[in-house]
Amino acid sequence: MIYRLWYFIRETVVSLWRNLSLTLAAILTVGISLSLVGTSILVREGADRATAQFQEGVEFIVFMNADHTPDQDVAIRQVLDTSPAISEYAYIDKMAAYEEFQVLFVDKPELIESVTPDVMPPSYRIVPADPDAANVAELARQFSTQPGVREVATATDAIRQIEDFSTRVSQVLLVAAVVLVVVSAMLILNTVFTAIGARREEIEVMKLVGATNWFVRIPFMLEGMIHGLIGAGLAIPSLFIVEDQVLSFFQESDVVPLFRGFAVPDGFVWDTSLWLLLLGGTVGMLGSAIAVTRYLDV
Amino acid sequence: MIRLESVSKVFKGDVTALRDASAEIQRGEFVFLVGPSGSGKSTFIRLLNREEVADSGRIMVAGKDLGSLSSWRVPYLRRNIGCIFQDYKLLSKKTVSENVAFGLEVIGRPRTVIKRQVPAILELVGLSRKADRTPDELSGGEQQRVSIARAFVNRPLILLADEPTGNLDPATSVGIMRLLDRINRSGTTVVMATHERGVVDTMRRRVIELDRGVIVRDESRGVYD
Ligand SMILES: Nc1ncnc2c1ncn2[C@@H]1O[C@H](COP(=O)(O)OP(=O)(O)OP(=O)(O)O)[C@@H](O)[C@H]1O
Ligand SMILES: [Mg+2]
Repeated sequence: MIYRLWYFIRETVVSLWRNLSLTLAAILTVGISLSLVGTSILVREGADRATAQFQEGVEFIVFMNADHTPDQDVAIRQVLDTSPAISEYAYIDKMAAYEEFQVLFVDKPELIESVTPDVMPPSYRIVPADPDAANVAELARQFSTQPGVREVATATDAIRQIEDFSTRVSQVLLVAAVVLVVVSAMLILNTVFTAIGARREEIEVMKLVGATNWFVRIPFMLEGMIHGLIGAGLAIPSLFIVEDQVLSFFQESDVVPLFRGFAVPDGFVWDTSLWLLLLGGTVGMLGSAIAVTRYLDV
Repeated sequence: MIRLESVSKVFKGDVTALRDASAEIQRGEFVFLVGPSGSGKSTFIRLLNREEVADSGRIMVAGKDLGSLSSWRVPYLRRNIGCIFQDYKLLSKKTVSENVAFGLEVIGRPRTVIKRQVPAILELVGLSRKADRTPDELSGGEQQRVSIARAFVNRPLILLADEPTGNLDPATSVGIMRLLDRINRSGTTVVMATHERGVVDTMRRRVIELDRGVIVRDESRGVYD
């Protein structure tokens, strides 16, 4: 009797452990792969925003001191208007800069409150006639020596690098993520397959008494979906860590000019989280659906 | 209730389990399937609840042509057919009443119906006092009663039994046969495969004899040989 009891306990623990480790493996793999998917999305979005003001041919931006004099403006304009090296330019005054800032940081009201139009540096966004990197660098050097200029940010030496870097990083992450998503689907398939095996007798009885196919299948599909959802749940905190640590690292580094940072709005992380949950649930459903259709001949 | 017209079933490897078999079984009949091992008795039964599909011929069960029955309808067919086996197929981790209730739960019967029907059917098979035991605490005969309760709780039109007394001693078999007889008298058609002479000879019901997949005898009130 005691031997028998011990036997049952041992069998139960062994089977539970086997399933537990498989389940944990599946959930963790989903979590890791979805973290990578999410990071890739965040890096992309961050880069898009960081480089937003360098679109439509703008190769460099001349930021003026907030307290520069009107003469200094006139002098700069003189050069911009007459130089054959400049194709076109746009002046962003304090108010426009402030408005842009508000749009950019719409999700961070405390940040918007901390600045006034007054402290915003006005700037010239410049489209050169020749976008060649060496040429742009030379132009930037020339403008940086002009009186009243605080800083010249060029697309070539900073932004293009960021774009390049983020594209490469997010692509590598995405490839790794796709591989891992496939691996997690296969792990879920295996876990569900094991669960089906463990309940073979119940399934046989269910079919015998006339349970519908869906009645037999749904619990297993739910199991797979739960693996996917828990995995996605694990990935979501990692998104906030990425936003907090990685993106802010770029924000604080000097490669990106001024306040225009490598950042995503708060809501964006939540949106991405929702997508990850959806993706996790779908991967789980798919993995278990394959297991169910292949191993449950109902 | 059941009609076979020139039914043949060939398994891979050229095993002919059933050859050109024709038979008609009326509502309320009690039919024994006899024959040596491998003669096709189990195949006959498995064709009736569509666990197997005939290769040729036509099978009608409860007004449905099984050949043209789409697979999603099969569960609904099976709700009209109770099945019992030599090995009972009970779930060892569930109690007697849970085993019977399981059969109703998984076809979506409401809880109130289950609460009412399970004790009633356990009363019928004489197991009310053992409702909370698990199968391994029961004798073979008692386990078979549980499986009969599960098969009959839904009041099926047909009861298929594949050697239900195969693991039981003669005295226990008599009890099981009495129970099947009662179920049959309540109007349920019973088809039972067996190779127990004693059981067939005492009941004196219709006997269909198979030999290598061919129906070689079909007599009402027959005996084993
Ligand atoms: N799934 C299957 N695949 C291949 N051959 C099968 C299968 N099921 C049954 N057979 C073969 O079909 C023939 C009939 O088998 P069946 O189980 O119907 O016989 P039976 O009369 O029930 O025998 P027994 O008295 O031993 O239970 C046998 O030769 C058997 O080997
Ligand atoms: Mg058999």
